[in-house]
Amino acid sequence: MATTTAAPGRPAPGRPTTKLGSAALEVDERLIVAGPVRRTLNKVFPDHWSFLLGEIALYSFVVLLLSGTYLTFFFDASMKEVTYGGDYAPLRGVEMSAAFESTLGLAFDVRGGLLIRQMHHWAALLFVASICVHLLRIFFTGAFRKPRETNWFIGVGLLVLALLEGFAGYTLPDDLLSGTGLRIFSAVFLSIPVIGTWIYFTIFGGDFPGELIIGRLYILHVLVIPAILLALIAVHLLILVKQKHTQFPGAGRTEHNVVGNRLFPTFAGKATALFFIVFGLCAGLGGLVQINPIWLFGPYNPAQVSSGSQPDWYIGFLDGSARLFPPWEIVMWGYHITPVFWATVAIPGLMFTALALYPVIERKLTGDTASHHLLQRPRDVPVRTSLGAMALSFYIVLWISGGNDVIADKFDISLNAMTWFGRIGMIVIPPIVYALTYRLCLGLERHDREVLEHGIETGVIRRLPSGEFIEVHQPLGPVDEHGHGQLAYGGASVPKKMNQVGGARRAVKGFFKPIEEPAAVQAEARRETRGLEAARESRELTGSGRPTEGGRPAEGGRPSEGGRPQQEPRD
Amino acid sequence: MTTTDHRPGSAGGTDEPGPLHGGPDDDYSPERLAAMDATELDRLGARYDGVEVLHVDPAPAPGSRLEKQASRQVTLWFFLAGVFALAFLVVYVGSGWFLPTWRWRIDGSLWSDLYTPLVGLTMGLSLISVGIGLVLFVKKLLPHETAVQDKHDGSHFDRVTTAATLNGALTNSGLTRRKAMTRTLGFMGAAFGAMLIAPLGGMLKNPNTGNPLGTTLWADGVRIVRDDGTPIRPGDQEPGSLATVFPAVPGGHFSADSPLMLIRLRPEQMAEVQPRAGQEDFGYGDYVAYSKICTHAGCPVSLYEQETSRILCPCHQSQFDVTQGAKPIFGPATRSLPQLPIAVDDEGYFVARGDFPEPIGPSFWNIGRVS
Amino acid sequence: MSTTNPSSEAPLEGGRRRLSLRRRPDAGSPASAARARRRSKQRRRIANVAGLMAALVLTGVGYSALAPGASAADDPTGNPSSAVEAGREIYTRSCITCHGSNLQGVQDRGPSLIGVGEASVYFQVHTGRMPLVRQEAQAAERPTLFSDEEIDQLMAYVQENGGGPTLPSGDLRDGDLAEGGELFRLNCAQCHNFTGMGGALSSGKRAPTLLDANDMTLYTAMLSGPENMPVFGDNQLTPDEKRAIINYVQTIKTTADPGGAGIGRVGPVAEGLVIWVVGMGALLFGIFWMGTKA
Repeated sequence: MATTTAAPGRPAPGRPTTKLGSAALEVDERLIVAGPVRRTLNKVFPDHWSFLLGEIALYSFVVLLLSGTYLTFFFDASMKEVTYGGDYAPLRGVEMSAAFESTLGLAFDVRGGLLIRQMHHWAALLFVASICVHLLRIFFTGAFRKPRETNWFIGVGLLVLALLEGFAGYTLPDDLLSGTGLRIFSAVFLSIPVIGTWIYFTIFGGDFPGELIIGRLYILHVLVIPAILLALIAVHLLILVKQKHTQFPGAGRTEHNVVGNRLFPTFAGKATALFFIVFGLCAGLGGLVQINPIWLFGPYNPAQVSSGSQPDWYIGFLDGSARLFPPWEIVMWGYHITPVFWATVAIPGLMFTALALYPVIERKLTGDTASHHLLQRPRDVPVRTSLGAMALSFYIVLWISGGNDVIADKFDISLNAMTWFGRIGMIVIPPIVYALTYRLCLGLERHDREVLEHGIETGVIRRLPSGEFIEVHQPLGPVDEHGHGQLAYGGASVPKKMNQVGGARRAVKGFFKPIEEPAAVQAEARRETRGLEAARESRELTGSGRPTEGGRPAEGGRPSEGGRPQQEPRD
Repeated sequence: MTTTDHRPGSAGGTDEPGPLHGGPDDDYSPERLAAMDATELDRLGARYDGVEVLHVDPAPAPGSRLEKQASRQVTLWFFLAGVFALAFLVVYVGSGWFLPTWRWRIDGSLWSDLYTPLVGLTMGLSLISVGIGLVLFVKKLLPHETAVQDKHDGSHFDRVTTAATLNGALTNSGLTRRKAMTRTLGFMGAAFGAMLIAPLGGMLKNPNTGNPLGTTLWADGVRIVRDDGTPIRPGDQEPGSLATVFPAVPGGHFSADSPLMLIRLRPEQMAEVQPRAGQEDFGYGDYVAYSKICTHAGCPVSLYEQETSRILCPCHQSQFDVTQGAKPIFGPATRSLPQLPIAVDDEGYFVARGDFPEPIGPSFWNIGRVS
Repeated sequence: MSTTNPSSEAPLEGGRRRLSLRRRPDAGSPASAARARRRSKQRRRIANVAGLMAALVLTGVGYSALAPGASAADDPTGNPSSAVEAGREIYTRSCITCHGSNLQGVQDRGPSLIGVGEASVYFQVHTGRMPLVRQEAQAAERPTLFSDEEIDQLMAYVQENGGGPTLPSGDLRDGDLAEGGELFRLNCAQCHNFTGMGGALSSGKRAPTLLDANDMTLYTAMLSGPENMPVFGDNQLTPDEKRAIINYVQTIKTTADPGGAGIGRVGPVAEGLVIWVVGMGALLFGIFWMGTKA
């Protein structure tokens, strides 16, 4: 680290002159870490907002670990029957399990316990949500292609484990809502052909609910699954570091480099900031928005249920699938295969298998066996993009159907109509989405080519001597004798507005409403007579925290800094 | 004490220090490094790691208006973070001390209602303020550099040499020749692995001993009681009513198999009743009793619509018609809710006339073979 | 709480006794008259209107004779016959089209009101479900059309001519909170949700939210089983148990949420919406902002 920071002219060159430097030297003489630390600090991270999505998942996992550890200090994972005598009057004297009672205690007897519990639950919802968004980013930009298939497999494994972990945690309080969910899960195990009843009896230690399941789920939830998650996350990140990041195409970006910021200090600063923001968001939600109010649900009782019983959002698609699947039970010689099996084992099994194997499938279909480090814009791979949109629409139909009773109630729609909407929708909507997405991709691709060939629409209408009106186009590069651009499409985003190429005055500052006078900006632009270079500098020195180029982030797809394609490529 | 120069632990050989770990110290003597300034050293190390800093937008000049403004902003956010953290501490520690109690009661004070939102809000704002301050710091006060790092593809040299080492060990072990040993290793591995997971067999439970899936607590003569344990007379329910009832046996109230819906049909419904074949006499007068456990996924049904005679399951919206032997008429359920044969005992209270004629709850593989 | 309460102890007791008197002979008697009435609100048999009337009069008279102190409270409107008379006018004006001139109901329009009692009248009219605007899956809840006095008169008229369950009196929240919660979860939550937010039923019907219901509405709903709701007679859920349930419902809906905003108290659907719209939305905005240059 700071072992070589001696000022010139000192008697012993290379010897540290400060206390900190001496301490660092002492450390490095023992651990020899200066080299690896420097390599780590110098690691370059691409600077695009979408690369932070996975980090949200990572940080919400950290929040989960911290808050979850706190909760274990108070939670009693036992199904022993107790009679509640605590602070919450509407349940006083009610028989419940010790697990439920201790969860109530967390809310009403532990100072700040409710905040931590709710923070934990919100962080869990955020964890899965951010994994999903991260996955979508990876999918639609083709970041899963060789050599990153392994990390894709691990990622899908992490998603599945996160779902299991979430479900186990959701079940632990042994309240009426989660107990209903557990009962449905017991039916899922039971539905598996041949070995279903064995699995069911083994998991519950007998018939549902037994007295063991909360304890078993607890150890899964706090030890087994988190340990696997942690290990897989570590491998996920190690592979990421080893393989280095992908990046969007742009000037100077090749398959053999990474353009961005070094880890220290820029990226480290932003990543730490994001951790604080994620943590703060979970804390804020945990305090301000009530989640899983088990005292309203009451303790689990196999004879009780509530309308609008739902799982957490990430299990919703399973619930929806179970709701939509038609009553088809296959009976052969007294052996049954139930609709629950198809809906909650076969369909999700297929969904996750297809998801996991997608990189392999795409390789087989396209025959593309090369390594790729440059990302693709979704529009440039219409088939993959359309397939993804199709799968997503299928998932969303299932997901909506998971809450179709609440939707039916709140929007005054017939419940049976909602079911039929889902049944028909899960078959009809995905192909429609595929076709629409495909057309959309082609249209966007064409528009890119058109701008490259003819230039940006300036909005200036000119009348030709012949009387014809034309719109003046600003070419993006040198043109041939017909006025057609010579630029080839390079996989990067094409500027489509004059102010993205510095050809118009900069955008007026202010996110929701302008915070400066448009006239003043115009005047400023007139004063800047030194051309684009000066205009760019003035832009970069502004400090509103707002993207100045057309309201979009400046990095990433931009062909170069400041969005000016005519700047010469580097490297 | 010896006269020889053998140091402890030395096993001979020259005791010279080897090349230092890491960097090219031969090329860069301490004197040469000492002559370079911090930026040069930084770039040197970066180059050594395959990183080229292409372009640096300098940080605002110290003392400039922009710099002052930015550092004011950053300071403000860090200050706010401290203030919110302090507010958190005040609310967290002070409640019940110099502030009203945090303990929440249904008839509690406004303060106890606000306690959790307040601690959450202050904690969240504090953390988010730190984050915002950091982002502003990085964006506005640090130089913005654009760096390029080379990506290295795999090396043929590495592959060949590694493979040679591995292959050498394999050859030396002779495993390729010693077939018996290889096979034994395979056998050992399989048996060993099986041994390791075998103790999990302690979790196994046979679902077929004693037919637990086909039986419930209901039996001939078991009285039907409410959740408070009181028995039920035929006169107790009004037509068009539904009661959730339980078997009068120990544990009947919390058994997952036994909750029963005791339904008294209205005369209009009685006129439409079409019991399942062989179950015509299961009811008693205008009373019928069905298992409350859904045959789809095991939720308690019982959203009873007494005018349409439907019973709806709140979990997956299966709908059953009580006048047709609780036949499923909508949704994913495939089997009718099992009906319990009921009668009235000598004292005039409802009793069961036996167990359900079929397994209750969700279907499973061999459901057709147990009963 | 109820606005006015024409009945006091006497009719309540009379009503209960009448119920038990009526119940036995009911079992198994023919019901062909009502078979085709799709939207029947009839809760019990019309086996013997005369007998019922006799029972009403007998028990009423008998009780007031036995309990002279109650006779003053018997009759808050002062003159029962004038109330009944006024009720008949309202009935003729607003109800007769569907329920017939003698409460016997009209085919395909409205059910018989014989035996539904003032409890049912209170519930249906006070919540504005009756008079019905149009025939649909379920009567909609609307602002009530009648004044409390008019409702009292209508109740008196229907009670006088049809008989049936009467309004309770006293403190309708006089029950154990926790017991009410258990009973609520066992008997009510499956349709009305944990917190009384209501829920969907089959084919466009729904269990209404209990947020707007007053004590008397809750009580009369349980007693009369309006529309698709099952009946909870006094021998199934005793008056004490009903009061416990009412206490629970009314307590829960007025208590604050200790954990912040209740987001509708409908459970995970709203929570999922919040994490995606608020949580994910805020974070996407955040990283978007972090990714931009200053």
